Amino acid sequence: MRDVAFGQYYPVSSPVHRLDPRLKIIFTVLYIVTMFFVASYFGYALVLIFLLSVCGVAHVPPKAMFKSIKGVIILLMITAVLNLFFYAGETSVEWTWWIFTVSPEAIDFALKMMFRLILLIMGTTILTFTTGTSELTDAIESLFKPLNLIKIPVRDIALIMSIALRFIPGLIEETDKIMMAQKARGADMESGNVFKRIKAMLPVIIPVFVSAFRKADELADALDARCYQASPKRTKMKKMSFAWRDLVAFLIFAAFVTIIFLDKYLWGGLDKYIVEAFNALIG
Amino acid sequence: MTAIKLENVCYAYEADGDKAAVNAVDGVSLEIEEGAFVAVVGHNGSGKSTLARLLNGLLLPDKGSVTVFGTDTRDEKNIYNVRSSVGMVFQNPDNQMVASVVEDDIAFGPENLGLQREEIIRRVDWALEQVGMSEYRKSTPFRMSGGQKQRLAIAGVLAIRPKVLVLDESTAMLDPKGRREVMDVIHALNKREKMSVIHITHYMEEVLEADRVIVMDGGRIALDDAPHAVFARGAELKKFRLAPPAVTLIADALAECGADIPRSVTTEEELEEAICRSLSKD
Repeated sequence: MRDVAFGQYYPVSSPVHRLDPRLKIIFTVLYIVTMFFVASYFGYALVLIFLLSVCGVAHVPPKAMFKSIKGVIILLMITAVLNLFFYAGETSVEWTWWIFTVSPEAIDFALKMMFRLILLIMGTTILTFTTGTSELTDAIESLFKPLNLIKIPVRDIALIMSIALRFIPGLIEETDKIMMAQKARGADMESGNVFKRIKAMLPVIIPVFVSAFRKADELADALDARCYQASPKRTKMKKMSFAWRDLVAFLIFAAFVTIIFLDKYLWGGLDKYIVEAFNALIG
Repeated sequence: MTAIKLENVCYAYEADGDKAAVNAVDGVSLEIEEGAFVAVVGHNGSGKSTLARLLNGLLLPDKGSVTVFGTDTRDEKNIYNVRSSVGMVFQNPDNQMVASVVEDDIAFGPENLGLQREEIIRRVDWALEQVGMSEYRKSTPFRMSGGQKQRLAIAGVLAIRPKVLVLDESTAMLDPKGRREVMDVIHALNKREKMSVIHITHYMEEVLEADRVIVMDGGRIALDDAPHAVFARGAELKKFRLAPPAVTLIADALAECGADIPRSVTTEEELEEAICRSLSKD
């Protein structure tokens, strides 16, 4: 069976893996928010150092983290180019060539935006690297529990999520098999333009759908046979609880966020001091 | 004591287009004793899977009644008592698992029943031990063999502590080794835990291992007897599109030629012994 790395979980044992998954989700959300407050290159460097240290503690090779950018590299380039040429803020100097105008401020802005996106993606992948899918669904279920009060069946939604994740590898395998079967019967899926290729996929998609519905039928029977909805109060085998390591992680994360905010609001971006110090040093 | 009792049960699937509704199960009456090991056979469309789904209330009879330990399956209030006493394992192990970690999947049943955490853990331990998969507790089933996956599916059902285990062609998709694994597990459950087993299968070797075999044909019970008595009927079985296992055929052929071989032999070892005995007599 093909090994589908959904979110590429790294099955190793580390303090980061053992953190309460709920806390990890909250950290990730806060991290995303914090990224929009990073004001200076010093701040971005700090974020990068922070991510690399987390990788180290989590026994995840930093290379894996950098790889996660590969999928969006074209998007990053486009964003950078657009930001570079269509910067709308105030500019000190402008260099113009034909219809393109570039300024130091535009370069600064485009670079910062690119760093922000890269770090956003790298940071969020740490969550999926260190948290298994069942932990994730359990954590989401636990975090959204208050929604039960307004009659949202959180438990059922979490079950749907976990079943969906569980069936992804099976469906991909099925698709592979059907594709091979159609190829064996002479189907041509690799040549022709986009429209032709999409059309050639139809004899694959329809059997996959049929098989998915059949699987769903059998699964529904299996759920019923295992007393699904027998008791209005379903219990849980796994209990999530905070440990001292969660507190330590919280303190470290809080310190990180504090420095980012200090950099923006108190120091006004450490860059200019660094530049000054550098200038003073060389003369 | 009677575990499951069927009285004149009829069930028809809804008419599909211009095809009229035909009874998939047509007037079946049957009693299954506690602790029995019953095999159910019959060609495709003979109604065996429908029969299985009637046993735990997944389907409700159109006519007649199904009683599980004194509870009618049509009694909506007690349907979960019925389902927790009659555990059902299906054909494809991949389509029965809800979680990607073994222990989470097995805990699904007891969680549904609303049991305490400690009891759930105890049941997961017990169920994994019964199928000999304790060391796989934390692994994911994706890369396991068919036999292992099906044993886990059985463990998932065992965790609701059923008194009757129904296997609906649960060995059909497995290789010979996987089939043997599953058969060993259900035999152990039948002997050790006194669990009743209703095993629906296509494999005649597996039928030989049962105490009783029910042959279904056209939604009715055609034969209901001990395995050797059923296979002793020889040519009559062709009518139900069943082929007796090789052991039975050899024993029959030898007996017909005058060798002293009892017709009740069911395993290769018994046959071997009988042949040796009859040879040493001459």
